[in-house]
Amino acid sequence: MHENILHIEDIKLAYVRNILNKRGEQQDERFYIIDDLDLMVPRGKITALIGGNGAGKTTLFNIISGFVHPESGKIIYHGNSKPAKIIGKKPYKITRLGIGRMFQDNHIFPEMSVLENMLIADSNDFGETPFISLFLNGRNEWAENKRKKEAEDIFIDLFGKDNPFWEKRHQPANLLSYGQQRLLGLARLFMGEYNLVLLDEPTAGVNPKIIRQAMEIIRRMVEEKGMTIFLIEHNMKVVLDVADFCSFMSHGKITAFGTPEDVIGNDKVRKTYLGI
Amino acid sequence: MNYIIHIVIIINIYIILTVSTNLLVGMANLLSLGQAAFYGIGAYLAVFALMILNLPLLPALILVMVGTALFSLLVAYPSLRLKGDYFILATLGFQLIVFTILYNWVAVTRGPYGIPGIPAPKLFGMLPITGLVPFLILSAILAGLTIFIFYKLIHSPFGRVMKGVRDDELAVMSLGRDVTKFKIWAFAISSAFIGIAGMLYATYVSYIDPTSFNLDEAIFILAAVLIGGTGNIKGPVVGAVFVVILPELLRFVGFPDSVAANLRQIVYGLTLIILMRYRPQGIAGEYKIG
Repeated sequence: MHENILHIEDIKLAYVRNILNKRGEQQDERFYIIDDLDLMVPRGKITALIGGNGAGKTTLFNIISGFVHPESGKIIYHGNSKPAKIIGKKPYKITRLGIGRMFQDNHIFPEMSVLENMLIADSNDFGETPFISLFLNGRNEWAENKRKKEAEDIFIDLFGKDNPFWEKRHQPANLLSYGQQRLLGLARLFMGEYNLVLLDEPTAGVNPKIIRQAMEIIRRMVEEKGMTIFLIEHNMKVVLDVADFCSFMSHGKITAFGTPEDVIGNDKVRKTYLGI
Repeated sequence: MNYIIHIVIIINIYIILTVSTNLLVGMANLLSLGQAAFYGIGAYLAVFALMILNLPLLPALILVMVGTALFSLLVAYPSLRLKGDYFILATLGFQLIVFTILYNWVAVTRGPYGIPGIPAPKLFGMLPITGLVPFLILSAILAGLTIFIFYKLIHSPFGRVMKGVRDDELAVMSLGRDVTKFKIWAFAISSAFIGIAGMLYATYVSYIDPTSFNLDEAIFILAAVLIGGTGNIKGPVVGAVFVVILPELLRFVGFPDSVAANLRQIVYGLTLIILMRYRPQGIAGEYKIG
């Protein structure tokens, strides 16, 4: 099995703006959001991606998960089977290859109960075609009960039964606090069968207790489920605590890669990003 | 008594229309203005099945459902790439195209002259379902079957994904589900059942012409769904009962027919405005549109 789960090479993505030049002619001006970016994501480890606002971190995640297509470059994903090219594939197909994603915003389903939010995240989608829903009642019910049991087990395992979260499991997810919704997002990823999980600022805007819980879940994703984590994070304490590797992104390029201590200690990173 | 039976038959037809439309509007968040087109396609396919092919009830029903579902794919594939207002405009375009074809292709549809003498459907090819009471039973069975099937669909894993598509397409995609496939399912299933309503209408009235399936009818079906409410089964059923009974009640109040018709439009409009302001989920629905 390849030691790097993701091999990103020469990715370029430009924002094109039509302007009038000095001679009064129309001309395309290109701003590179991602500029010849190369990166390897090591398998079974937690790799943090840090960088200033607008550096292109979320855009890179969007490219990996298929929501944005770059102009050039390639991304090879070494999942469990043969290597797969990611670029050009639809987002849902990329997820089915084993790449999960947590967005910067809480993309939970507000009208569904907390548990239903978990059930829809199951990688086994048996019963989701209308014909099976209508005609294979017994098998469908069996699969659904198994799914429910698994979701409840994950909940108890991650948060315990004495947690207020457990009491809210049958309530609509929009009744959860912002921090609890972030935790639900992480728990949902626990429900799926992923090799690589992209986490976009999972601890942003939440209290220290939830940050600790989130870090614990992230560690367990690696240790118990064998997932690889690629994590965008602005909280350096979290990076130092959980990450095995760290990459620094600036102006659409990876300009530093190494252990979190090395990258955070890098003069350029300290000056341009941390401001110290 | 015959009058009440007639009203109940019409309610049953509208229940099929609204409950099927709810899968699109309330579950997939696809506000379609093309529902009357599928209603018309179902009715004209029923004429083809009963008058030309002389099929018994069940094969005719299957042909109508499959045919209407296939027609729905014609609009589903190109228009599902569009979102929000643009999708509504695409379905409006489809509605107008279908109406124009039904109205002008006289050689096939007899255009504005309509098709009279549509025979009653025959059970097992022998027992014609004629008369009010047999038709009431047939329409009640088909409406009940529609409610049962859509209830099961909404409360199944399929329904859960549909609710996900309605609330957050991006999240559904990132969980590995093909959103387009689910929307096409919704379109095809909804249209197939609307085809049943078209067949019931054509065989009950025994005469059809394109004006029964015009844009006014499309808006009327959508208004019934929105008034009753979306996202569950109760809402569309209440909507169907409301829009069919309301004009009859106005008639009882003593307004002359010419006034009652206009008053009906005003009352529907007012009801929609009041509901959008004070109860966006409709009378008995659970999903707030907009």
